[in-house]
Amino acid sequence: MGMWNSYAVEEDDKLEKGEAGHLMRRAFRMLRPYRGDVILCAFVLIAWTFATVAGPAAIRYGVDHGLVKHNVTAVNRAAIAFAVFSVAVALLSRAQILLVNRIGERFLRDMRERVFDHLMKMSLGFYDMQQTGKLVARMTSDIDSLQELVQQGLIVFITSGLLLIFTISTLLVISPLLALLCLASLPIVVLASIQFQRASNRAYLVVRERIGQTLATFQEGLSGVRVIQAFGREAANEKRFQHHNQEQLDAYSYAVKISAIYFPVVELAGNAGLAIVVGIGGVFVHSGTITIGTIFAFVLLLQNLFDPVQQLSQLFNMLQSAGAALNKLFGVLDTDSPVQERKAAVDLPARGVLEAVDLTFAYSADGPKVLDDVSIQIKPGERLALVGPTGAGKSTLAKLLSRMYDPTQGCVRYAGVDLRDATFKSMRDRFTVVPQEGYLFQGTILDNVRLAKPEATDAEVEAAMARIGVLDHFASLAEGLHTEVRERGSRFSAGERQLVSLARAALANSEVLVLDEATSSLDPGTEVEVESALTKLMERRTVIVIAHRLTTAERADMVAVVDDGGIVEMGTHDDLVMRGGAYAALFGSWSGHAAAS
Amino acid sequence: MSSSQSAGGVARSDGWRLLRRTIGKQKGAVAVGVAAGLIWTVAKVTLPLLARQGLEHGVRLNEPGALRKWTIAIIVVASISGICTGLRRYVAFGIAYRAETDLRLKLFAHLQRLHFAFHDHSQTGQLMSRAATDLQQIQGFIVMIPITVSNALTIVLVAAVVLVLNLKLALLALLPLPALNVLANRFAKRIHPVSMELQQELAGVSSSVEETVTGIRVVKGFGAEAYQSQRMKQTAARVLDRALYAGQVRAGFLPLLDFVPALGLLAVVWYGGHLVLNGDLKTTDLLPFLLYVNMLIFPLRMTGQLVAQGQRAVAAAQRIEEILVTEPEIFDKPGAVKLPEGNGEVRFDHVSFGYSPEAERPVLADLSLTIQAGEAVAIVGPTGCGKTTVARLLPRFYDVGSGAITIDGVDVRDVKLNDLRTSIGIVFEDTFLFGDTVAANIAFADPDASQERIEKAAELAGAHEFIAELPEGYATELGERGFSLSGGQRQRIALARAILADPRVLILDDATSSVDPTKEHEIRDALRTVMAGRTTIVIAHRPATIALADRVVLLDNGRIVAEGTHTDLLRDCERYREVLAQAEEVAA
Repeated sequence: MGMWNSYAVEEDDKLEKGEAGHLMRRAFRMLRPYRGDVILCAFVLIAWTFATVAGPAAIRYGVDHGLVKHNVTAVNRAAIAFAVFSVAVALLSRAQILLVNRIGERFLRDMRERVFDHLMKMSLGFYDMQQTGKLVARMTSDIDSLQELVQQGLIVFITSGLLLIFTISTLLVISPLLALLCLASLPIVVLASIQFQRASNRAYLVVRERIGQTLATFQEGLSGVRVIQAFGREAANEKRFQHHNQEQLDAYSYAVKISAIYFPVVELAGNAGLAIVVGIGGVFVHSGTITIGTIFAFVLLLQNLFDPVQQLSQLFNMLQSAGAALNKLFGVLDTDSPVQERKAAVDLPARGVLEAVDLTFAYSADGPKVLDDVSIQIKPGERLALVGPTGAGKSTLAKLLSRMYDPTQGCVRYAGVDLRDATFKSMRDRFTVVPQEGYLFQGTILDNVRLAKPEATDAEVEAAMARIGVLDHFASLAEGLHTEVRERGSRFSAGERQLVSLARAALANSEVLVLDEATSSLDPGTEVEVESALTKLMERRTVIVIAHRLTTAERADMVAVVDDGGIVEMGTHDDLVMRGGAYAALFGSWSGHAAAS
Repeated sequence: MSSSQSAGGVARSDGWRLLRRTIGKQKGAVAVGVAAGLIWTVAKVTLPLLARQGLEHGVRLNEPGALRKWTIAIIVVASISGICTGLRRYVAFGIAYRAETDLRLKLFAHLQRLHFAFHDHSQTGQLMSRAATDLQQIQGFIVMIPITVSNALTIVLVAAVVLVLNLKLALLALLPLPALNVLANRFAKRIHPVSMELQQELAGVSSSVEETVTGIRVVKGFGAEAYQSQRMKQTAARVLDRALYAGQVRAGFLPLLDFVPALGLLAVVWYGGHLVLNGDLKTTDLLPFLLYVNMLIFPLRMTGQLVAQGQRAVAAAQRIEEILVTEPEIFDKPGAVKLPEGNGEVRFDHVSFGYSPEAERPVLADLSLTIQAGEAVAIVGPTGCGKTTVARLLPRFYDVGSGAITIDGVDVRDVKLNDLRTSIGIVFEDTFLFGDTVAANIAFADPDASQERIEKAAELAGAHEFIAELPEGYATELGERGFSLSGGQRQRIALARAILADPRVLILDDATSSVDPTKEHEIRDALRTVMAGRTTIVIAHRPATIALADRVVLLDNGRIVAEGTHTDLLRDCERYREVLAQAEEVAA
């Protein structure tokens, strides 16, 4: 019984009536590749329901034609029929489990791939607007709740529904009047089930919230135990905890009370059916309207009636939360990436000038302008350092220059081609962006470097690492380049992670390199290595570096000081220092700080 | 605190004992639940017989009034069954949830009182899983008790009734049914590892998605989208593989579980039919047979579950008991006294201390230090020199290995723990604030404190100004779900919390470390006010904070190596300058 508890559905997540139909149609469209299986499954399900309902019919035949009329052949015939139906039920049941599972799980596999692929197609602008946790939830808890439905609920749901319909039809065919009398309590059960489902959903929402509170308080008591003891507040805190603990119990008790009323109603309705079949059916037998075999069949069929209603009502929450999950997943698939590849996109030519023309950018339509009318030119092989205070717009400028975002106004051109007209493939070939933090993925060092060029051989990866002088560092580890990165690379220092990041860029070997320099200081050991790798990496490339360190700006061919959404100064390091403007001031504070530490 | 170990000499039998104790507390309710279950069972088993009587006497033999009599009987018994099934359910869950709640409180209260050393060595996650998962296992077991008793009785009663009705048919019809139990248990055993594998693969999806989304800048920067998609494809394929296998296992067992009772029914139809034709059985006797076979399905399938759940519950109880038998190491001595009046003179008298007896060298070695009433002493030293330990020994978070610590002449071990600790105010390095209002956090030591006192404390701590600017002022909720404050702001609230307690001795354990250096002066002024005339121990590494103290003690390797004012030491002591310079470097 516990398993249903977790399916309490939030009011916001409940689907509108039209939405549910739309969802179903869309889900079915996704099942198109498995059309054959779906059709086969439908047949199997219907056949299974027939066979299940046929069992009691065989018994009815046996009683009426065999027992009442003393006919051995009829009894044998009924027994054989019953045996055949039972075997059929077992085989069909096996087939339906396999089919539903196969269809459902493949659907889920497709869903996982599609949603993930779609997420991969989204540009950075999308990710900046979303909470990481929510995106992860789409791929995890949402798909998982569909998975649970496929693994546990879907078959029960479909078969319960079919069984209910077939049983009612069969009862009506055998004896319409008795059937109607027996079914009289069904509306009550259905209503009770709907009420129960609603009330219990509400109750378990409260339970879930209270459990969260209790556990949060428990955790707080553990994390804060030193403070609690230091202030001698153990007893008071215990009382505080007990308050939540008791509230959780109360919520549980309420939820149980609801089910303690509902389940007897269903059971009673079933037994009332029995009383009606015996009491009223008995009168009908006397009047010759029905046979005693019919009474047998009714008693047995009634068991197929009330259980499915109960099953359906309990599965309803599971189904609802799966529907809500499906809705959110389709929502992701319906979101277009802010940065798109044009139909008539062309490949970017090799080696050209990278230029920004009258670039204006705001993160949202009504948001403030982060960049305002910026123009800049970077010649092939030139190294440009962007400096300036936090929030001045240097990162945004770098992102626009590498088409992580599209400009609000103006354009960015490479070798004369507007980046918005370029193919994604050629963008990837020409541009590499090295983010601030060296971020490692699960897998080996080799895998991590290869990320920049999946088709590269081990030798190519090693060659790239050797080119910037970081091969020895990692090859000297006990397991060399095959060392597994675990837990986000916590066993590697920030400097080492940076080295991997630079090695990726070396492997990608693109003409344009956009670098976001790390703000935090690295461990002294690897700092030198990072510096030297960086120098080698930048050779013969067009480089845009967001500089946080004096030496980086000093080494660049050009320095652009970005402030307040525009370029306020531009020139070589020496020129700018001489000029005594914004850069000179910045340089002064930097060198002062450097001298101090 | 590994979960599988029987640390602290806790055995499975202790787990059982805890379970029995917990259930025993609700003996009355358990009895009601079991009784309701038993009545329900008897009623349930009676119903098919009543239906048979109705058909036999009322329909087949057509005795006058019989049909009505038996129909009414069915309705009455059905009502009793309905009431009892509700009652059983209500009581069963009631007992189980109550037990869970009681145990959770017990566990919490005990953990609250366990000494620091215990908490130093345990992981919050582990303890949380005691409070969540383990208690749930116990609850899941207790809830099954009444229904299991009912199930057992169902099996016995049904068997007895059908054996009386017709021995041979009963044997034939019931013969296949024990297979249900075997199959159900085997199914549980087979499906469990497969579901675990599936869960593991799903966890793989989750971590893979999470790292990709978190590292999206890398993925985008290096154009690794296709590569990541390829990896996800492999992961999704592995999930599919396991899920399909789980489906195969289910398809192997579930149809069989339905087929076994059908065999029993077949025996009734065929053999029972022949018995009727031979005149050895009445037609109407077949009805209870058919119903009884179905009635046994659920009890037989469930019996194995109780055993499995019981095993899980005992293991869970064992892990909980392990915590409950851990005695607090710091407690009131018999005859402990209240801290006598005084101004807070603190003496460390030849104190030695180590966190574990096996450690090569103690953290503090023969430390002697006297702090005059009202004096502020800064303790300075390199990382690991033992300065934080000094602060932790005074409120008896740990007891000294040898030597003694006195406050106003009384050994801290002779003072009532609660009195000692409420006399000492401490601001920890890692400020912990509770998920409660700002006011409640400040008034932690005395929840009845007036708003005026709270604001006064906040003012002294230099916190009043920013609190007033919070969305709801002093009523602003803090913590994970609430408003998040900066390190410096948190620090000042912690300081206000210590001030409100108006302690005889104040300990500031690196209390300014997380404050932005440019804002440090604000809190420094606050500290100066608070320390005036109060015995204070300041543990710090920032010169500006150290300078607030009347006297500085330089600690190295658990010993005092130099003493004097900040200025004197700065001038005369090479080691002191080294230590300060090191601290600066770390901070930068």
